[in-house]
Amino acid sequence: MVCAQVETSPRRRWQKVLYERQPFPDNYVDQRFLEELRKNIHARQYQYWAVVFESGAVAQQLCSVCVFVVTWWYMDAGMLSPQRLFGAGLVSSLLGYILFNVIDAGVGRQESGRTWWADLKSTLVFIAFTYGFSPVLKTLTESISTDTIYAMSAFMLLGHLIFFDYGANAAIVSSTLSLNMAIFASVCLASRLPRSLHAFVMVTFAMQIFALWPMLQKKLKAQTPRCYVAVTMLFALAALVGLMTISSVGAVLFALLLLCISCLCPYCLIRLQLFKDNIHGPWDEAEIKEDLSRFLM
Amino acid sequence: MAAGGPARRAHNVCMVSDFFYPNMGGVESHIYQLSQCLIERGHKVLVVTHAYGTRKGIRYLTNGLKVYYLPLKVMYNQSTATTLFHSLPLLRYIFVRERVTIVHAHSSFSAMAHDALFHAKTMGLRTVFTDHSLFGFADVSSVLTNKLLTVSLCDTNHIICVSYTSKENTVLRAALDPQIVSVIPNAVDPTDFTPDPSRRDDSITTIVVVSRLVYRKGIDLLSGIIPELCQKYPDLHFLVGGEGPKRIVLEEVRERYQLHDRVRLLGALEHQDVRNVLVQGHIFLNTSLTEAFCMAIVEAASCGLQVVSTRVGGIPEVLPENLILLCEPSVKSLCDGLEKAIAQLRSGTLPSPETVHNKVKTFYTWRNVAERTEKVYERVADEVVLSMDERLNRLISHCGPVTGYIFALFAVLNFLFLVFLRWMTPDSIIDVAIDATGPKGAWTKQYFLGKKGRVKEEILNS
Amino acid sequence: MEERRYRAVSGAPIALRRRQHSASCWELAVRGPRLQLRSLSAVTSAVWLAAYGLFVLSESSMVLSAAIFITLIGLIVYLHFVKIDQESLLVIGSLGIQVTSSYASGKESTTFIEMSQVKDVVINEAIHMQKVIYYLCILLQDPQDPQGVSEVVPLFQSSQPRLDCLMEVYKSCQEILEQRKTAPQSSGIK
Repeated sequence: MVCAQVETSPRRRWQKVLYERQPFPDNYVDQRFLEELRKNIHARQYQYWAVVFESGAVAQQLCSVCVFVVTWWYMDAGMLSPQRLFGAGLVSSLLGYILFNVIDAGVGRQESGRTWWADLKSTLVFIAFTYGFSPVLKTLTESISTDTIYAMSAFMLLGHLIFFDYGANAAIVSSTLSLNMAIFASVCLASRLPRSLHAFVMVTFAMQIFALWPMLQKKLKAQTPRCYVAVTMLFALAALVGLMTISSVGAVLFALLLLCISCLCPYCLIRLQLFKDNIHGPWDEAEIKEDLSRFLM
Repeated sequence: MAAGGPARRAHNVCMVSDFFYPNMGGVESHIYQLSQCLIERGHKVLVVTHAYGTRKGIRYLTNGLKVYYLPLKVMYNQSTATTLFHSLPLLRYIFVRERVTIVHAHSSFSAMAHDALFHAKTMGLRTVFTDHSLFGFADVSSVLTNKLLTVSLCDTNHIICVSYTSKENTVLRAALDPQIVSVIPNAVDPTDFTPDPSRRDDSITTIVVVSRLVYRKGIDLLSGIIPELCQKYPDLHFLVGGEGPKRIVLEEVRERYQLHDRVRLLGALEHQDVRNVLVQGHIFLNTSLTEAFCMAIVEAASCGLQVVSTRVGGIPEVLPENLILLCEPSVKSLCDGLEKAIAQLRSGTLPSPETVHNKVKTFYTWRNVAERTEKVYERVADEVVLSMDERLNRLISHCGPVTGYIFALFAVLNFLFLVFLRWMTPDSIIDVAIDATGPKGAWTKQYFLGKKGRVKEEILNS
Repeated sequence: MEERRYRAVSGAPIALRRRQHSASCWELAVRGPRLQLRSLSAVTSAVWLAAYGLFVLSESSMVLSAAIFITLIGLIVYLHFVKIDQESLLVIGSLGIQVTSSYASGKESTTFIEMSQVKDVVINEAIHMQKVIYYLCILLQDPQDPQGVSEVVPLFQSSQPRLDCLMEVYKSCQEILEQRKTAPQSSGIK
């Protein structure tokens, strides 16, 4: 039923309803068109130095990888004996362990429920197994050509960096995968070293630097941010110096990379936020905000 | 409706979509009903879709609606696999032999619809597109789909959406000029959905839910509502029709709270059984998380039920406030709404099913939809078709640097392919088909329809 | 007897010859275009050029003799099994319908359908090879079901005439089929 008031300037106001015949043409555009459109309501405001602080986690991992490769290089060149590395690693692990427990006054230990005896047991088990299997680990990748080994190790270490848990809640994060890739890289590289003792020390060192060191870092970051910043910078410096003794070009490139990650990327992130264009409106699929599995429990 | 004024012309309309009979659904019934009403108004209408199983070739439906079931491979969810060029020979042949003037494509999920629009523009025909669904903007698949939609719609003559929210959504997705988008709602056949109060049991209160059991329809919310309300109201029953992957959730809830006698899961319903299920209830519940128009609530209101629904998408525009209770998409809000409806039912303040049906019957009719669509056709038929260089300019300027150039290249290749086809099989060689509908239609009620749709063609001049 | 020119669906010229032998007997023949000398020489030259190219690459004269052999055999097979010169339809009111195909080599293949089995002759449309064409076909009666169709026999499949030619044939056939409705036969069913 067509409304009888079809005049050139209808007095009736346009209403957003479909069940009434309105005296407007079907393609009429009211001034209320798109009035419920909202843009960027979930956008976050970033502070530059906060982002730089957070980017320390990525810089940390890069330095860990660098230190690991430098250590391997020294072992390969014969300038570092496995016994000394093992000794140094043991001492620093012990120090780190004590620091880890002291730093939050035992709260974390209570929460996790593990005793120091259990920690000691797992360490001993790990060392025993690695020592026992080190001949196998050494010969595992011996028949593969050196170039392939280098390529594979590089790929694995890159994968380790990509899948590492930097604290972001994304689907790509998988801490087990990243640790496995790092250990596999260490096994690959260890096979190029002279004896099985080297392989054992290499794998243990990899475990320390890729599994234990990040844990300590997270604790430090949570408890003492200033200490964390200082430790990060020292670590980066150590990595750079170590790399410089091997190759100056490498050191320069690495320094540039670290600067990019720490200073340039946060700047880019903040600049690009200006181009964000998220559209929200009544057409969005509704989100169920509550946890409905409680009805099934 | 009187058969119109002096400026009306009869158009040769070709409806193209992947979704048509024997598949049953919203888009399918929309195309069918709209075609029937347009035939009644004197236009020539035909439908082009893909083959369903052994149903290939040319069939005739009621009143001479000709359907082409093209032998094209189906990829996923009844949508054809497309290379954009392989359908040109057949579609061009069909458009030429049927002397099509307007190509009307339906549903953005249908690849064949977009192909047909592309080819129709290459051939210089007018194009209209109807969008039936709402889309998001955020994830990767949405971004790509919206880009393809922009390309498809940037030189389409007119677009039709089924609600104002859908119009806003489509305008934003495809960066369109809102003046070329019309809002023409869906409709419901009121004779199919009549109330029958004798079929329901008034000693208990029955809540009916009829929908596909998928995440998008908010079945998780339903699984929260059922135990809450069943505990509060001992004489409350639920009747759930439809099938889907979330059925298991409802069965778990039923099992956990021991509601076997109060919650009935009917499984998949045939289209003709829906009304019989609806009339058994007092209240209709719709928990969808997103809807462009929602036919189900209009069907339920037509059967005389009180409707309780989530306030999403285009639902607030569909029914007036006294016929529908709108709630936020959360369990608590829907429970409150349902309690209000039950209270109204118990106190007898709800209007009778007959009253509701008589009101809803005037809101949405297919004849009105056809009349408004005809206005769109009239407007489109007067528009100038874009020439090749204008079309390429529009594609390049409107669709972004990379996509614009790629599709401009495709448009040129399409045109060259068309030139080649015209050389191989000139238009003069193609037999003009005998119209079944339209002003010179051969189909009248006297014709005998043979088995399996084969028709004895009468010679017009003998 | 009259002969008229029409076109096939592919655009090739064909000729329809109609002959009415009596009031209830029509003979309709559709003659396709004859084998053209230029297409024959084009195909032969193409095959021989390809063979020569292969000969240059492989230095084996077997290729050349194989090419000649292939061309000869191919031509014979094509003329005898593929190229249909003329398709004809002989409709005799009280007896039946005879469909004959004559090949270019002179071979003829014939099918006869009794009038009692014939339900109707209709023009139908179908999707065939990226085209939608009209074709003439004979509907055969299903013995169990008087309203049913047991089989569809398509006619003129190789010459594929266009609608105007098919309508002439259709009209002639219908003249005869109408007669058996008005004058019921002893052996025939309606």
